[in-house]
Amino acid sequence: MKEHNKKVSVSSRRGFFKKIAASAVAATAVAPVALSAKDDALLKEPEWGKKLGDPVNKHLYGMPSPYEHNVIRRTHELLSSGDFYASVAMCPVHELEGIITPNGLFFNRCHGGVAQIDPNEHRLLIHGMVEKPLVLTLEDIKKYPKESRIHFIECPANGSTEWRAPQFNTLQFLKGMMSCAEWTGVRLSHILKDAGIKPGAKWVLAEGADDSHMGRTIPLEKILDDAMVVFAQNGEALRPEQGYPLRLLVPGWEGNLNVKWLKRLEIGDKPWHAKEETSKYTMLMPNGKAVQYFWPMEVNSVITRPCPDYPWTHLKKGDIVEIEGLAWSGHGKIKGVDITFDGGKNWVEAELKGLVLPKAWTRFSYIFKWEGKPLLLASRAYDEVGNVQPTIDQEVGKMGVENIYHRNAIVTWEVKANGEVNNVQIRDYKKEREMIKKDAKEEVKKWM
Amino acid sequence: MDVRKISKIASLALLCVGFAYASGAKEIKLKTPSLKERSVDGAMHYKVKNGVYAGVYRVNTQVDKIKKFNHGRQATKEEIKFNDIDVRYDWQGLPDGKGSVAQGEELYNKNCVMCHGDFGAGGKGYPTLAGGEKSSLKNQLLDPDSGDEPPVKTIGTYWPYASTLWWYVKTGMPFPHPMSLSNDEVYAIVAYLLSLNEIQIDGEDLDDDYVLTKEKLMKVHMPNEDGFYPNVNKYGPEIMKKFLSDPSNYGTQTVRCMKNCPTGKVVHIKHTLDEAINPPVTTKRDLPKETKKEGGANSKYAKLFEAKCSACHTNKAIAPVIGDKEAWAPRIKQGKKTLYTHAIKGFQGMPPKGGNADLSDADVKGIVDYIVSKSK
Repeated sequence: MKEHNKKVSVSSRRGFFKKIAASAVAATAVAPVALSAKDDALLKEPEWGKKLGDPVNKHLYGMPSPYEHNVIRRTHELLSSGDFYASVAMCPVHELEGIITPNGLFFNRCHGGVAQIDPNEHRLLIHGMVEKPLVLTLEDIKKYPKESRIHFIECPANGSTEWRAPQFNTLQFLKGMMSCAEWTGVRLSHILKDAGIKPGAKWVLAEGADDSHMGRTIPLEKILDDAMVVFAQNGEALRPEQGYPLRLLVPGWEGNLNVKWLKRLEIGDKPWHAKEETSKYTMLMPNGKAVQYFWPMEVNSVITRPCPDYPWTHLKKGDIVEIEGLAWSGHGKIKGVDITFDGGKNWVEAELKGLVLPKAWTRFSYIFKWEGKPLLLASRAYDEVGNVQPTIDQEVGKMGVENIYHRNAIVTWEVKANGEVNNVQIRDYKKEREMIKKDAKEEVKKWM
Repeated sequence: MDVRKISKIASLALLCVGFAYASGAKEIKLKTPSLKERSVDGAMHYKVKNGVYAGVYRVNTQVDKIKKFNHGRQATKEEIKFNDIDVRYDWQGLPDGKGSVAQGEELYNKNCVMCHGDFGAGGKGYPTLAGGEKSSLKNQLLDPDSGDEPPVKTIGTYWPYASTLWWYVKTGMPFPHPMSLSNDEVYAIVAYLLSLNEIQIDGEDLDDDYVLTKEKLMKVHMPNEDGFYPNVNKYGPEIMKKFLSDPSNYGTQTVRCMKNCPTGKVVHIKHTLDEAINPPVTTKRDLPKETKKEGGANSKYAKLFEAKCSACHTNKAIAPVIGDKEAWAPRIKQGKKTLYTHAIKGFQGMPPKGGNADLSDADVKGIVDYIVSKSK
């Protein structure tokens, strides 16, 4: 893989496409244990039924069963800028149940390593176009009325390896730059009452305390609408990987905007155009111009059962199984999800299940009778604002393949007769090329 | 073969506002909210109604009546000045200072070259800083096997503002120890990077003896300044509401095609990336294999290595990686004395003390011993 190190960014490198034969695709899936008639698990007293378990004072902070040791975040040398400090550890989305990601599995993207911060020394500074610039300790922040809300956070580069062609045969690396948690913190609209915003203020710079000093520009309207400073996830303090002791939460928006280790908020009348708004996190369109700001994460979905990691190789013909998946949208609540069995020619409605919350993961479900016939299985979500997840041709035809971020096209699984599942793409390069050629200069002009 | 019936006419009728039949395809057009009902990002704008937010979360409604909480304390001018480190695109926040291209080159070769390559050419996994053509931004490498060229995004071809460059270098670089360069040093490095990218100021090339100052930097217009849209500088965040409320601007759809929809060919994985996943993906439920205890991982020098040296010495493109016996064997053969000298005084791509001037000679020797112990 050494040649990849010489290249620059995720999708601008040609070396990203490793020239090896398809037959070398690593078989990562493990067939689940099928019960045979010889199963004797219930015909003997197991070891753990004949001796004492661990005393309750053994693990004062609980740990998963050692048998779950493979359920972990994973990394890849290409998904980094040369090292594992400005890099990402992917969430094992294929292993998750429900809509809450356990804190130890939440995906971890950082730009200068995971800062380890002493909460006693941490301050939030609010200044700029305010009547009273403020310094707040964590204890000060916790005096305000708190709220808890469930929101996903997704890196806009989630799935960026797949713009040109399918490359990963595991859900963890196709969609693992996202997770969903219950966040607890304080609405910034409460705190900004104490600072007093001056007339003419429109933008806010949020900056982290870590090595990268990452700053991002956010419109004041969003900050006053539903943004929060949060100090807890899933009932306990934020993990260092999520910005302990304090992070910004801008529900539904690019993960990068949810600044971790939040130290400073500056209120101003103009946008800042920080490094992550110019050199990176901008979307280069086929006409050579780039969309500079793109805040919400678009409507999206993926089938989690089956998937390449959890295939149907253990099923027998006639088995009635659940097709299950995740849908999410930064634009609001998920309204519904459709499913196709023939690669997108015909679609039927799946059902939503569990909590349907705004800007949160939502589970969908479809009961299916497996007859051992090959399928091209895919899901397509639509949300409250009427946005529908696009096909690859629809998305690429508009965006091209060089913008790295915000890929939300439909994900298709090839389910083979033996139950194996592979990541494939349904697309027509020729059609895309024709669509892309349409010059969009006129379109850019109206936004200038 | 489905246990459910495929069509659910009743529930479809509730959702759709109209059917369309285009080339035999059956489509459902979705209802979309008006701009008034949307937030600045085109998303649904949620409100509290009868104590319930967004129709799902109960909230405390007493807080609305509170004008001020009066928590925290007033920030001092000194605190604001010390922390206000950003440089906005209109140059707000740019401090005074000066530095020449030649000084910048020297600083670059000491602090930056090990990652960004000679003359900003990249090549070690970190961003390329110079080179390429702005015209390449229209390139599309659509089909990986087409032989097409991708765009080249560097400071000169892509970045819209030089303010970002100053800000980035000052607060984010050098990568392992940012906030360590003086303002003059930042000016010098910025001057060098602008010269590598053939940026002119007042029609003048930035030659070796060119001295960049605040006034001169503020005159810089980057070649791709007009390469970004929508123009939020001119129109404010309001224009984004319009842009983001129309999914046709970004390839998302407003129609659900249900029957006889256009599709494409099946494209299988040809160039897999699975091999370098670390650790390899498995869904096995078993007990972990016994792993050898990492001896001395918490020692002083292990921690120093982690903090000061690992950014380079865990990346084989930049430096010999700790634990790589093959890479270290010839180096270890030269003897500890040579290794100490190279580490303290610098050698080839290795800057003196790895760029960590704060380390004592004894600490550097301790770290060398630690690396050697892990690599033989």
